[in-house]
Amino acid sequence: MPYAPEHDEVPNPLRAGLRADSAPEPCAVVIFGASGDLAHRKLVPALYNLAVGAHLPAAFGIVGVSKSAYTHEEFAREMREAVGRFSRTRPVDPEIWQDFAAGIRYVAGSFDDPTTFVRLRAQLDELDRTRSTRGNRLYYLATPPSTFPTLLKQLKAAGMINPPHDTRFTRVVIEKPFGRDLASARALNRLVLETCDERQVFRIDHYLGKETVQNLLVFRFANSIFEPIWNRRYVDHVQITAGEELGIEGRGRYYEESGILRDMIQNHVLQLVCLSALEAPVAFDADSVRDEKIKVLRAIETFDTPEQVARNVVPGQYGPGSVAGADVPGYQQEKDVAKGSRTPTFVAIRLNIRNWRWDGVPFYIRSGKRMPKRATEIAVHFRRVPHALFGEGSAQPNDLIIRVQPEEGIALRFSAKVPGERFRPQTVSMDFRYGTTFAAASPEAYERLLLDAMRGDQTLFTRKDEVEAAWKIVGNILKVTESSEFPAPYPYPAGTWGPAAADELLAQDGRAWRRL
Amino acid sequence: MEEIVSDAYGEPISAGAAPHAGELTVKFENAFDLARIETLLRQARDRGGPSVETVCTLNLVAIHFSAAQYEKARNALEVAATLHPCRIVAVIADQGTQEESLTARLSVVRTGGAITLERIVLSATGRAVRHLESAMMGLLRPDLPMVVVWGGRPQGDLLRRVVESADRIITDSGARPPGYLAETAALLAKGAPIGDLAWARIFPWQSLAADTLDVPDLREHRGNIRRARVVCAGAVGAEGLLLLGWMQSRLKRLEVEIGAEGGADVEEVSSTPIPRAAPIGLGHVKLLEFVAPPATFTLRREKGVLISQVKGDDDGYCAHRVRLPPEMPGRLLALELKLLSGRDELYAQAVQAAAKLLAART
Repeated sequence: MPYAPEHDEVPNPLRAGLRADSAPEPCAVVIFGASGDLAHRKLVPALYNLAVGAHLPAAFGIVGVSKSAYTHEEFAREMREAVGRFSRTRPVDPEIWQDFAAGIRYVAGSFDDPTTFVRLRAQLDELDRTRSTRGNRLYYLATPPSTFPTLLKQLKAAGMINPPHDTRFTRVVIEKPFGRDLASARALNRLVLETCDERQVFRIDHYLGKETVQNLLVFRFANSIFEPIWNRRYVDHVQITAGEELGIEGRGRYYEESGILRDMIQNHVLQLVCLSALEAPVAFDADSVRDEKIKVLRAIETFDTPEQVARNVVPGQYGPGSVAGADVPGYQQEKDVAKGSRTPTFVAIRLNIRNWRWDGVPFYIRSGKRMPKRATEIAVHFRRVPHALFGEGSAQPNDLIIRVQPEEGIALRFSAKVPGERFRPQTVSMDFRYGTTFAAASPEAYERLLLDAMRGDQTLFTRKDEVEAAWKIVGNILKVTESSEFPAPYPYPAGTWGPAAADELLAQDGRAWRRL
Repeated sequence: MEEIVSDAYGEPISAGAAPHAGELTVKFENAFDLARIETLLRQARDRGGPSVETVCTLNLVAIHFSAAQYEKARNALEVAATLHPCRIVAVIADQGTQEESLTARLSVVRTGGAITLERIVLSATGRAVRHLESAMMGLLRPDLPMVVVWGGRPQGDLLRRVVESADRIITDSGARPPGYLAETAALLAKGAPIGDLAWARIFPWQSLAADTLDVPDLREHRGNIRRARVVCAGAVGAEGLLLLGWMQSRLKRLEVEIGAEGGADVEEVSSTPIPRAAPIGLGHVKLLEFVAPPATFTLRREKGVLISQVKGDDDGYCAHRVRLPPEMPGRLLALELKLLSGRDELYAQAVQAAAKLLAART
């Protein structure tokens, strides 16, 4: 939804029934942290791809802001190189690039220095004049969280944040991590909301920009056959896995501060839990969808005592091992990681959602670094048939697997008769592969999310209460696992699916992780 | 200078490609043997391994009246089919050749380990063309929508049943003289589920016009649009009439005017592999102007870019510029295949209004 009409406004007579989406209004995107990795690898390539797909208004500009000294031309040249390396569409189209680069500007300066914002404002005014960007601003905070308060205060002091009802929009996109615990998330939310209105804040979780994650909503709510069985009567348990082959890739300092719970569970994995478990929203709009997600988060049983954490949470840390045939060091041998570090690089958790639909159905979630392969999926395991007509143990329960990455798709496993005289069931798989069925290249998550932010659609962004509810769940776990009395994370060799204790977590319930 | 587009203006949906290797050709004596065709198709599928999956979302039926027409359309059909995995049943009814013959050509295409395209080309010449319809109907995959790509007009009773039982019929008014819009309007009035590549061609114009009226400072003009004018390249074409018909169906008491000037773009030979927007063809839209006094909204095409400008408004400025999507064979067909059944009401209303405009001009 591009905008909400005023009550007395005549509806756009030419908009009704059009199949094409509306283009965003003219605007300037300001990237704070423009010399960083995210701007080079994701943001500018995503904006360029939006230009290739004719999704950007031509009245558009980008202003990069960071400490590094560049001229406009040098910055544009560096972005051209970044697009050439990281863009989804290559080679770079010189004609489109020429148009795109004509709107690229750069402001060098420290975020602590108010004159940086005076220069930024002058630059944006220049874009309004020369590129007709009309005073609309999208500020992208691609910077470490420690800079968010300074940036927001400076923007406000410089008068660069318009009120939400102004015809010239101001929106702020904030990258994760949004806080490092419940208290800091609340403090950050307070600060953000002193500066802007919630309608202007876009807290990004790039998992929500993935086609298959969005497809989960379509799968659940555009098909009538799954809804009747999507509950405690038919579902035995749910497994959510988000594993990576990679280690920490030189980001030891960041990882020591975050660990797997902050890096993956609080945001991406809990979002997958929400989308798997939520009730049907009353409408497909930002608040209706987010209202339902928050209900799931509030229904998740929090672990209030060390005993509850010990019973339901298995942290792990990778040691040396072998991944894809190559020897890799253990976490404690990585650069910038302290010897004897207690930071978990893996966690398995048994979650209980205490509501009418899911009570008694465990949601087992696990996420880790240095797993045997990259795999993110949601597996819904259905109950066994009540009577084993073809012999005890002959028919396996049905599984529905939603693969988020790689090989995005959905598989349904069911029993079929093996040809022959006897009735011997065997599990077969019916596979839907996203990439094969829809050969159109999917947009990158950042393309979708940047476009939504420019259009003002918050459906795929997280709301204040959602972030805080997720921190409440993860914060309680962190409080226990980070205390010195709690045992150190279980070691596991790199290239395995985590410590044996993670298997025991399910074995206690008579279940096992899916072999991926 | 304006001229009326002649009957030689266009042909069925076009784009050319050489025949593919690996195609199995079977000739039949008196009638098509459907069981044999299915068996051979299954063998073609199994050649990639015993448990190759097939992904299929629709039956795409293409009707042609000569082999040359089919070859011209083939690439566009297959590119669209990569975006909408399907079974293509192409029918070539060549009545102009005296000799009777029946031929089937079969092949499959694999993408990422799964079969995403099954291709059956049924050709008949002479009196044997009467067998085509029943053969084609027997080769449809069950339970899936049937979309017919229709390049011409029904010839007598031949293939009428196919058209009548289709979930959607996709035509290209832009490839025919604009007078045919009246015929389309009559079919739509009877409830025919017609789609149109000419309609898909004007999507960017519609979006830009709507986007311009969404600009906050310009929303005040929404209820006050009084006149609209379209200029086509060289001759009045179906796209221009549809665009104006759409405006008229959306806005009450709108005075409209359509004309033509200049000519089509001379097609440039692209020196780069990067696809560009299609050049302006004969009858394509060059300009749309609408007036909401005192403001005048002008949307014009300059090469691959659409530009909208507003004059007479207090703020007076360039409102929007959008780049037209690069033209690739099958792009418009793939867009139209996003709707697999039923009528596009907006299109139906636009065609009715366009037909009235045509009648008023003559």
